[in-house]
Amino acid sequence: MLKGIAALAALGTLLAFSVAAGAQERTVKITGFGAKSGVVRVFGVNSEAALRAAAEQINNAGGVTLGDGSKAKITVEFLDDRCNAEEGISVVRRIASTDAFVAVGPTCSNVAESLFGILQKKVGDASDSGLQFPIIADVAAKGGLAKISEWSFRNVPSEFEMYKSLFAWLKTQHPDLKTLWGGVEKDFAHSNATFGVMKAQAEANGLQVLGQSEWLLADTTFSTQVREMKRANPEIVAISAHPFTSCGVLKEMERQGVKPKLLVGLTSSSSIETLQGCAKQAEGIIIPTSFAPVTPEAVKAAEQVAKFGGSADLHSAAAYEVMFILKDVIETQKIMAKPETVAADRAKMREGLAALKETPGLLGKIGRTADREAIKPYLYVHAKDGSWQVLYKPSS
Amino acid sequence: MDFYLGLIQIIGVHTLLGLSAYCVLQTGQVSLAQAGFFAIGAYVAGMLTVLAGWPIMPALVVAAIVAGAMACAVGFPALRVRGLMLVVATIAFGEAVRLFFFNFTYQLERGGFRIGPHGGEGFRQIRYFPEHGWSTLEVMLFIWVVVVLVMAAIWWMDRSRAGAVLRAVGEDEVAAQSSGINVTAVKVFAMTVGGVIAGIGGGLFAHYTTHIEHVQFGVVLATFAVAYPILGGLSSVFGTLLAVIFVQGFLIEGLRFMGDWRNLLFGALIVLAMNVRPRGLIDAATIAAIRRIVRGKEHAGA
Amino acid sequence: MDLLDVIDGVQSVADGVLFGATYALLGIGFTLIFGVMHKINLAFAAASVGAAYASLLILAGVRAPPALVFVAAAACGGGIGALVYLVGFRFIPLANPLATLMSTVGILLLIDEIIVHTTQGVPLNYPALFSDVIIRAGPFSLRGDLMFVFALGCVCMALLTALLYCTRLGLATRAVSQQPVAAELCGISITNVNVLTFVITGVVGGLAGAMIGAAIGILSPLLSLPLTIKGLIVTVIGGLGSIPGAVIAGLLVGGLENLFQFLRGVSERDLYVMLLLFVFLVFRPRGLSARPPGHA
Repeated sequence: MLKGIAALAALGTLLAFSVAAGAQERTVKITGFGAKSGVVRVFGVNSEAALRAAAEQINNAGGVTLGDGSKAKITVEFLDDRCNAEEGISVVRRIASTDAFVAVGPTCSNVAESLFGILQKKVGDASDSGLQFPIIADVAAKGGLAKISEWSFRNVPSEFEMYKSLFAWLKTQHPDLKTLWGGVEKDFAHSNATFGVMKAQAEANGLQVLGQSEWLLADTTFSTQVREMKRANPEIVAISAHPFTSCGVLKEMERQGVKPKLLVGLTSSSSIETLQGCAKQAEGIIIPTSFAPVTPEAVKAAEQVAKFGGSADLHSAAAYEVMFILKDVIETQKIMAKPETVAADRAKMREGLAALKETPGLLGKIGRTADREAIKPYLYVHAKDGSWQVLYKPSS
Repeated sequence: MDFYLGLIQIIGVHTLLGLSAYCVLQTGQVSLAQAGFFAIGAYVAGMLTVLAGWPIMPALVVAAIVAGAMACAVGFPALRVRGLMLVVATIAFGEAVRLFFFNFTYQLERGGFRIGPHGGEGFRQIRYFPEHGWSTLEVMLFIWVVVVLVMAAIWWMDRSRAGAVLRAVGEDEVAAQSSGINVTAVKVFAMTVGGVIAGIGGGLFAHYTTHIEHVQFGVVLATFAVAYPILGGLSSVFGTLLAVIFVQGFLIEGLRFMGDWRNLLFGALIVLAMNVRPRGLIDAATIAAIRRIVRGKEHAGA
Repeated sequence: MDLLDVIDGVQSVADGVLFGATYALLGIGFTLIFGVMHKINLAFAAASVGAAYASLLILAGVRAPPALVFVAAAACGGGIGALVYLVGFRFIPLANPLATLMSTVGILLLIDEIIVHTTQGVPLNYPALFSDVIIRAGPFSLRGDLMFVFALGCVCMALLTALLYCTRLGLATRAVSQQPVAAELCGISITNVNVLTFVITGVVGGLAGAMIGAAIGILSPLLSLPLTIKGLIVTVIGGLGSIPGAVIAGLLVGGLENLFQFLRGVSERDLYVMLLLFVFLVFRPRGLSARPPGHA
């Protein structure tokens, strides 16, 4: 009989301890989503790796402090939206039907357009039945998306700022170069929009834009376009296209003997894709980017992301940074992360994100605009000997 | 709950897309142009609600009429070809429509912003539903009322003489013509009906995704459109519905837990389905079996 | 329009015609399958690109001279062709053309996903063949590697025509395509003939994929769908089942593409190609080398 009571007491104590221990072991799930299928799969893979790497860093440092003072570990889940608008909306609704109070994504700008469109436009507008759920984008880079809704935020670089600064700097470095020819991927919103920026900034810095060559995302022959380029004999060639067609154009340029003095590329193309496709032809191309392993934080992040099977570039670095931004907001806004506080948590997250004036970034402090966009520090890289090396780091 | 309602919305619109191909497939024509009519419906309905401020119902009706008219116009030249050539001709037409919208810009100034279709960038902010306070449930019910009406119409047509005529043309054109059926008229009729349904589906699509662009209406969507009736079986409208639920509900959302393997299974399961049930999930044999069971129960009950 | 523009225009068209040789190779494969089995194999272009990827994989593992990658691609193409037949056609009764259409769509999706999963969707460099050979004729220059592709296409055409009309296999193939039941009664194994046809077209496809990779210089999963559409267009314009028709049509489509692009820019180029195809089909549905109906 005594043995029985002793056994029960022991069991009871054990249970009490485990409950107490369990009370300390809280987890907060942050869900990312993006494209893990098709030609853009590499973006999703990198974003997921970056989110997991950042979460591990945070957890190793003790985790995130919730509104009731308890510490919680962050777990990451990543859903594939296949770069499809309907699926992106479905994925976010899925996330929103759980206790999640924020989602990180998407990869593709077209998904972001639809997704931000179904969110409530203005906070507090009772007549608007849009979804009330904060989303912070890590990769979708087409200009002006965050202003679609007060619940949408982005941590992507401003291409306007980067190209403005790049062309101004190029003018100081190469005052003798006067003419520019553009190349643009017409049927992709991002490259099309960025080309407008490139062209405007080139002209603003006194360059004469002799003309432009156009092609489509999946084109395979560029002889006509490169011949136009050759005839114009420009000193600078600016290509606003993704790695597949950029490589195609560069190879054709090599074939036809078109050798401009300077090559400028699209931000997204400063990744391993370009080097894997045409390292030799891309030699010397200058691209402004918001990530390079030049600071100790950046180097560490690159190592961590590689550990999780991804590679750190300007897109995945943004995802890495986002995890830390979310940690800060959870702590300052005292998010409770309990099933009964979901709506309140979402509102707090949104307010917290909207109130941010500055966030920590891997290359330095990132400013935030009233339009819920980011002003990220940037630098210029160029392709040299089969890798991306830093060309110049603007001081401001 | 919202997630399931949203999924049911998607299933509804894709059922309309599938049904538009179903009508055309019954006459033995494989049409990969349905995505083109879908696109026309989407842009027309979007422009009417956003640029002209129309309510959703009249916008959808006009979208359906425009898409149907286009389908009728396409139907006539399409009659001259058959088999693979029709497949290619309809791909060509669908692509021509997509490329038209790639180049199409029509923007108006409203409150300091420019709104409307903008070429390659697409047509954003088609926010009729959220702006008028429609909840996810209300949108879902609206879509499904339309779907049920369309399905009922096709079901009724299937069981009427018109349906028999369509199937006759689909099974054996020569025999049908010998029986005095005007094959031309039947095929054009089927194309037009398909176009009308696709137009309605497209209009709804534009409003629940709030942003449309030319890329969405390419060959992949056209292939999905014919995949639904082929996978589901051409003997019954419910086959198409089942196929849509199978693809959108099971393959796309249900298999999400498999992570990366989901996409590989997608193609593999379609191949498997076609090998195991070449006449579709619900084929004539299945319907006969269901009828026998129902009749058996009736006899047992009586 | 001055002389320079005219020269550029002609050069553009010439470049297009040369690149059309790659479309011709694809068209040969598509038309052979249709000509023999009277079924559409929508997975053909994807299988060809897949064979090119597989050849890269083999080359990464085995140390061999880069030129061997083309042989590897052809071999892989043959293997994939046999697999496509097994999985997409073998077990589906002949009377279900829609089912085989859909099964090949499933195979297309599967091959694309396998490519994306193995390579993360990243474009891969493909060894070039004769890429530095440029033949100059006055103000014009012609790409040597594309001329090689064209020559290869002609050789394929000759070989396949010889195969079809001068060998027992060819005779069996034509018998199966005309009257499967009678052929079986004569002791011809339909399955064997079909497998062999798929293997042969697979080899042609693998070669086409390798040539396309070499001509562009890079392989990407982006290629499968546009090449499928181009291949179908070429097959139809050339006339279903006609190999010389596919070759001519390939060159024609390539040249016209570039002509439209030169005249109207890239945004409208494909629109005109599609409209042209549509009109062509309305007025000459049986294609360029239309064999009158009822002939062998």
